[in-house]
Amino acid sequence: MMSQSSFDRLSVALSIVAALLIGAAVIALSGTNPLLAYGEMVEGALTGSGLRNTTARMIPIVGMGLALSIPFRAGVINLGGEGQMVLGGLAGTLCAIYLPGPPALVMAASIVAGAVAGAFWAFLAAAGQIWLKLPILISSLLLAYPARAITSYLVRFPFADPTVTSSSTVPVPDANRIPKLPLFGGVSASLVLLAFFLVAIAIFNQRTVAGYETRMTGLNSRFSRYGGVGVDRQVVWVMLASGAIAGVIGTHLVVGETYRFLDGDLVASGFAWTGLLVTLLASHRPLPLLAAGAFFSALQIGGLAMQRNVNVPWQIALVVQAVVIVVLAGRFVLSRRQRAQPEEIPMAEGELTVTGEV
Amino acid sequence: MFDQLFDGALLESVFRALIPILLAAIGGLVCERAGVFQISLEGMMLVGAFAAVAGSYLGQSALLGVTIAMAVTALFSLILGYGAVTRRGDPIVLGVAVNLLALGLTSFLLPQLFGVRGVFQHPRIDGLDRLAIPFLSDLPLIGQALFNLTIPGYLSLLAIPLIWLFLFRTPIGLRLRGVGERPASAETLGVSSTQYKYAAVVFSGLACGLAGAQLALGNVVQFAENMSSGRGWIAVVAVMLGRAHPAGVLGASALFGFAEGLGFRLQGNGLPVQITEALPYVVTLIALALARKRFQRILELTAA
Repeated sequence: MMSQSSFDRLSVALSIVAALLIGAAVIALSGTNPLLAYGEMVEGALTGSGLRNTTARMIPIVGMGLALSIPFRAGVINLGGEGQMVLGGLAGTLCAIYLPGPPALVMAASIVAGAVAGAFWAFLAAAGQIWLKLPILISSLLLAYPARAITSYLVRFPFADPTVTSSSTVPVPDANRIPKLPLFGGVSASLVLLAFFLVAIAIFNQRTVAGYETRMTGLNSRFSRYGGVGVDRQVVWVMLASGAIAGVIGTHLVVGETYRFLDGDLVASGFAWTGLLVTLLASHRPLPLLAAGAFFSALQIGGLAMQRNVNVPWQIALVVQAVVIVVLAGRFVLSRRQRAQPEEIPMAEGELTVTGEV
Repeated sequence: MFDQLFDGALLESVFRALIPILLAAIGGLVCERAGVFQISLEGMMLVGAFAAVAGSYLGQSALLGVTIAMAVTALFSLILGYGAVTRRGDPIVLGVAVNLLALGLTSFLLPQLFGVRGVFQHPRIDGLDRLAIPFLSDLPLIGQALFNLTIPGYLSLLAIPLIWLFLFRTPIGLRLRGVGERPASAETLGVSSTQYKYAAVVFSGLACGLAGAQLALGNVVQFAENMSSGRGWIAVVAVMLGRAHPAGVLGASALFGFAEGLGFRLQGNGLPVQITEALPYVVTLIALALARKRFQRILELTAA
């Protein structure tokens, strides 16, 4: 089914325009001049500290997009990115706080721990599909709730910082924090990790046999199986890779950003869901994904500035994001019905034409 | 600890948890029968809850709130209807995006319309009254749980036999199932699959509107951001687990309602909230695992 989601560029451009117009209508209906609001948004996203914040927000948004693009490309729908991200985030944070040793090693270990925890949670969903015939779509999503519950329990009780009223861990020691790069006034060095994931995935998709095989499975799993691809094994490793990246992103959000694992903080911003929309918009290709992620990050950071300055809630950014995908997936922008119904084979004049469902 | 666990009060909280899920699942069931893959129950429920609170606040009447919730959610469901039925878009992508749209829209409108963030409570929001049926509501154990419900509560329980009758004993129900199972044959017999699919989607909108109203005006009297918190997804699972049969869906919903009610009770007995809140989802996963091989349709749909 995912094969038909490779949206063409014109459709993408038109759906973004349509979503911005719908967003403007919503802003106008709620009593603010949409031009003023959008102006604040652009300014807030791209000027001053906005550029830094937008770049910083690209790490979780593009990162989660990349994480989810791997299974999506193979036709595996991982809706549990959130759970994989929070569990990975907590595992990474606990390593960064409690592991003794030289900071560089502790940092590396905490990133690995985040990846392992995220991958483990994603593996549960993959195992469910293969051995219990539970669709990953459902199991990955449902697994996110216990994941949140586990982290919530752990940071409220065993690992709680008794000196603060909010439910959170103690802060990560200064030395073990992922450092800032001297870019736009300080963006986390996790940006380098993001670049690494992006390049690695691009090379994998374009240049490797396994990358070709996952695409093939995404387009037609039966054909792929017939062609000798171990589809079950593929499901396992695309989920492992996806969960691992999600776990690293979760680790970054604490060890590279907030330094305390605050209960509910990682899920509040909905990065996993924004990442999901980003990979859908980019048809799971790394470079368009970077562009789509930059756009959605700017939308959110600009939205926050708009909220501060003209008191329009930033969540309009979430509305615009979702509308882009609704418009695209609903084929509301261009008539693509010809392509959607390949059973309509053009025939010579005079012949009987057969149309309809097969 | 356990001897005091199972009593009328537990049954009451089971029904409290069960009713919104059941209402949404009834909508999902009809869609499933009409061959529409419906995973936007979660978002529609959230829209319903918001519209219910807004309507009740503005009109100071719970019934007006319920009506507005149903109307608004039915309208909202047309997005999925048009995208998935008329335009034949990908139902999974559309469903996920519609859920996120609902979340974004309600969290945007909450501060914009009511000037609050997170939770909206106000004395002007009129909650749904529970209507006790004389004599029956005095029955031990089941009286309060079954015969002292809100209007959406009674509707949800009445809907089960009614939907069964409709699907399996009326010509329209037969046609609806035909559209879902053999669309080409249905078309050949002059049944417009588009009409039936639209009707099913709008029906699920009405049902989710009712579910949201029960959640926001019955179970509590407030709107909280993302207050559907996965119940719509549980309803999706209930439809699968119950094989889109009214009795099966009732059973599956009851299982989750029981898990939530029990979790709520265990919380009172000292278990941490974080653990008991996860109970319905864990029970759902276990039930799904035990029910293996019932999901061929969705597996086929997701496997290209």
